[in-house]
Amino acid sequence: MAEGITYPVVVDADHVVTELYAISNVPTVVLINEDDTIAMPNWSAYGSDLFSEFTGVDSGRQHDRIRRWVREGDAGMSTAEAIGVVGDLSSEEEAARLHFRLALALRDRGDQAGCDRNFDRAAELAPEDWTIRRAMMPLRGQDPFGENFMALYADWKANGSPYHGVRGY
Amino acid sequence: MANDTALLDSAGTISEAQLAELGWTLKPEGLCQDDTCVLIPDRDAIVSDAGLDLTVLGDLLDRPVAIDTEAGLAAVGAPRAARRRALDELVAPDFTLPNLVGGGVTSLSDHRSKKRLLIAFSSW
Repeated sequence: MAEGITYPVVVDADHVVTELYAISNVPTVVLINEDDTIAMPNWSAYGSDLFSEFTGVDSGRQHDRIRRWVREGDAGMSTAEAIGVVGDLSSEEEAARLHFRLALALRDRGDQAGCDRNFDRAAELAPEDWTIRRAMMPLRGQDPFGENFMALYADWKANGSPYHGVRGY
Repeated sequence: MANDTALLDSAGTISEAQLAELGWTLKPEGLCQDDTCVLIPDRDAIVSDAGLDLTVLGDLLDRPVAIDTEAGLAAVGAPRAARRRALDELVAPDFTLPNLVGGGVTSLSDHRSKKRLLIAFSSW
């Protein structure tokens, strides 16, 4: 474990980064080179093996990959492989992000009906997007680890576990 | 900033002042931002007595728009070009977000010339 490292943590309440990078679930990791090029696009990578029963991912191998990239500049994916490997957001998924923002803003203004209307619309537009569906659960008084989550997980699995990014690395 | 998103009080049209909030100005030659102008193929489709049509503007500027007419509130997304460059050309889009602690903001570009490990996570 590296010690003495500091790093910025920022809050993205409006999910702007999910729009700019086409992110549909977390954790999603992006490796960015010194020259702003993306060495590894949206990657389902983990800090530990806490969820490995769920994910089947060996985080140690992923950390080795990150170390190799930091030290040798090799992220293990060629430019040709990386281009287009992340599917773009559909216009529905794009619109869902905007309705999510409208819901938050209307919630802040005390317009609960308007908030619900926009959350419902966002969920309808992007039914398998975790940054929409799961993220709204705690904001609507639902448990993000409870019944609604398990139902969403089952639907998502049944639909082939769609993800905007790279898995199996 | 170029990749900003916006919320505007609007039920479908916006004022020229709101257009300025999006970073654009309506000029005889088109919609202009700094030295760049986007030609307007049909000015009547945008400009009316009610203001500027936000949906048509969104199409012209290639930014997504969602309008809640009942609440009179509209959301405008970032230019789609930023995401396309990320997916098709592997250029990381810049963003600026508030720090979790200590106030202020951090941009991805604050750390230019360094390798950056970007982790999108949620505490749920």
